[in-house]
Amino acid sequence: MNNRNLLKGIFLAVFALIFALGALKYNTGTVQRPGPGFFPFMVSSLLFVLGVAMAARAHFTKRVPMEFTVKNIAIVLGSLAGFALLSEYVNMIAGITFLVFASTFAGTRYSWRRNLAISAVLVGIAFVFQKGLGLQLPLY
Amino acid sequence: MDIINNLMFGFSHALTMHNLMYVAIGCFVGTIVGLLPGLGPLATISLLLPLTFSIPTGGALIMLAGIYYGAQYGDSVSAITMKIPHASSIVACIDGYQMTLNGQTGLALFTAGVSSFIGGTVAIFVLAALAPALGEVALLFGPADYTALMLFGFVCVSFVTTGSLLDGLAMCMVGVLLGQIGTDVNSGVARYTMGIPQLLDGIGLVSIALGCFGIAEISKNLDNREERTPFSGKIKLMPTWPQFKRIIPSALRGSVVGSFLGILPGGGPVIAQFAAYAIDRKFSKHRDQIGKGAIEGVAGQAAADEAAARTSFIPLMSIGIPENAVMALMMGAFIIKGIQPGPNMIASHPDLFWGLVASMWIGNCFLLLLNVPLVRYLLSIFKIPYNVLFPAILFFCCVGTYSVNNSLQDVFTTAAFGLMGYIMLRLSLDPAPLMLGFILGPMLEENFRRSLLLSRGSFTIFVTRPIAGTLMALIAIFVVWNFIVFVRQVRRNRATNGNGTVPAEAD
Repeated sequence: MNNRNLLKGIFLAVFALIFALGALKYNTGTVQRPGPGFFPFMVSSLLFVLGVAMAARAHFTKRVPMEFTVKNIAIVLGSLAGFALLSEYVNMIAGITFLVFASTFAGTRYSWRRNLAISAVLVGIAFVFQKGLGLQLPLY
Repeated sequence: MDIINNLMFGFSHALTMHNLMYVAIGCFVGTIVGLLPGLGPLATISLLLPLTFSIPTGGALIMLAGIYYGAQYGDSVSAITMKIPHASSIVACIDGYQMTLNGQTGLALFTAGVSSFIGGTVAIFVLAALAPALGEVALLFGPADYTALMLFGFVCVSFVTTGSLLDGLAMCMVGVLLGQIGTDVNSGVARYTMGIPQLLDGIGLVSIALGCFGIAEISKNLDNREERTPFSGKIKLMPTWPQFKRIIPSALRGSVVGSFLGILPGGGPVIAQFAAYAIDRKFSKHRDQIGKGAIEGVAGQAAADEAAARTSFIPLMSIGIPENAVMALMMGAFIIKGIQPGPNMIASHPDLFWGLVASMWIGNCFLLLLNVPLVRYLLSIFKIPYNVLFPAILFFCCVGTYSVNNSLQDVFTTAAFGLMGYIMLRLSLDPAPLMLGFILGPMLEENFRRSLLLSRGSFTIFVTRPIAGTLMALIAIFVVWNFIVFVRQVRRNRATNGNGTVPAEAD
């Protein structure tokens, strides 16, 4: 099952299927007067065919295993989500600090002291953005 | 003489204190960010896009363009000194890195800088001469022609950037479908919004770009755990006169090739570099040395790179159709600033257009005067370990996403596209065509539906109109040719190993 070419085809076909089923909910109209569902249905059907063809072709090509490391992408996404939540409910300084301390778990070495320094510098940059460039960051 | 007058008019707009400052900042920051591992021009532009939000339109466009050239120069620097290529500087790795191994880093960097300057200068005249003329041709385009042109662009981009037509086309379609999210312009129906009010306006361009090119790249780099050794050799910039003389012919050849290839759909820096390099290998006086660290091997491709980067603005600004992913992002940025690129842009905003063209040349001067001498200090950015860099890049991704709409919801969207981009990278699907599909998707739909309305539902409109018909024929030839190549490859493989398997990347 771990065959990159096969998974590629399946990924595209599933993606297309979601959009095609969604498109059927809208009025497709006629060819003379295409409705809002016409174009997405057409494109997603094409993509579905393409995806299935790629999955089928994977039988005839050499198998390439797909590399996938869950840990790093999960840490990165988790720290982004934490940043957004903390900035929303506390403030952005807390968000930035969390982002630094959480995301560096994906790095090679972990150091509290270095993380404090990075956070301090980034908060400083955020202040420059806010005061100097007029970005509306909810820092505190 | 029109060109000269227009350029003078442009310079009068570009040479204000503020605009000069924007060019300088754009080039400088672009170079620094472009140097960072894993951040090519696409990621750099989307990261720095928010910096331009509080700047007046003219200055913002000038700064964005500056960021683009800066990022490209930064790319070639990291390619020459450390053999870290991004999408836009693969060729610079060949002879450029070889020159570094020969202890001629400074010479290679100087050559790249001067050749870029020559390439950029030539391209600006091409741009100034051709863009208005092409803008008039664009007025002949009907909806069917626009549809065909966009499809042609998809096919070319898919083939050029990914090397695999099917993968690229699939990614274009994924992009087009993502572009469908939001309110339908024709009927006002909210499509694929899942009841989330933020999605009524569609997905943010910055979220997709930062997710696919920023977050996904960072995660991939983290997986690889490569510790890069920072460059620590000596840099002696100034060449001797005989060395300098070798730069010129090669750079001029590269400029011409680059200017031409930059205009074509799907063209742009990458293909121009390869073409210029190939030509140098055939026609250069020192062709026997190319590949072993020859000046010509750096000069030709650097000039072509820069020239193509400039002339690829022509289709965007005169027809309104971006021809590659970087230009698609530029178009998105133009639209965020309230400018619709297209045939009317030159007429309705001559100050913006000519100011931008003139600022390109000023940007070239800045690159030459500022970045080339400073490059040894810029390289110290590589002494910062990745463990420090990536949280900072993540922070910039967050701030960048947030400041488009001042909305923290958008950070979640970016994260979602980060996941999607990561999956696509792991499936070896290149997200660059997705970007183009996403930007062109709504335009494609509008023109497609309008053509069908005009022709009362007959698809022949895409073949019978001269412009559309020609483009469609070209697409057909291209697809058939690709198919033949694929079939021949399968046959040859059957003949050699008898089991009918083809190499995975063949298409």
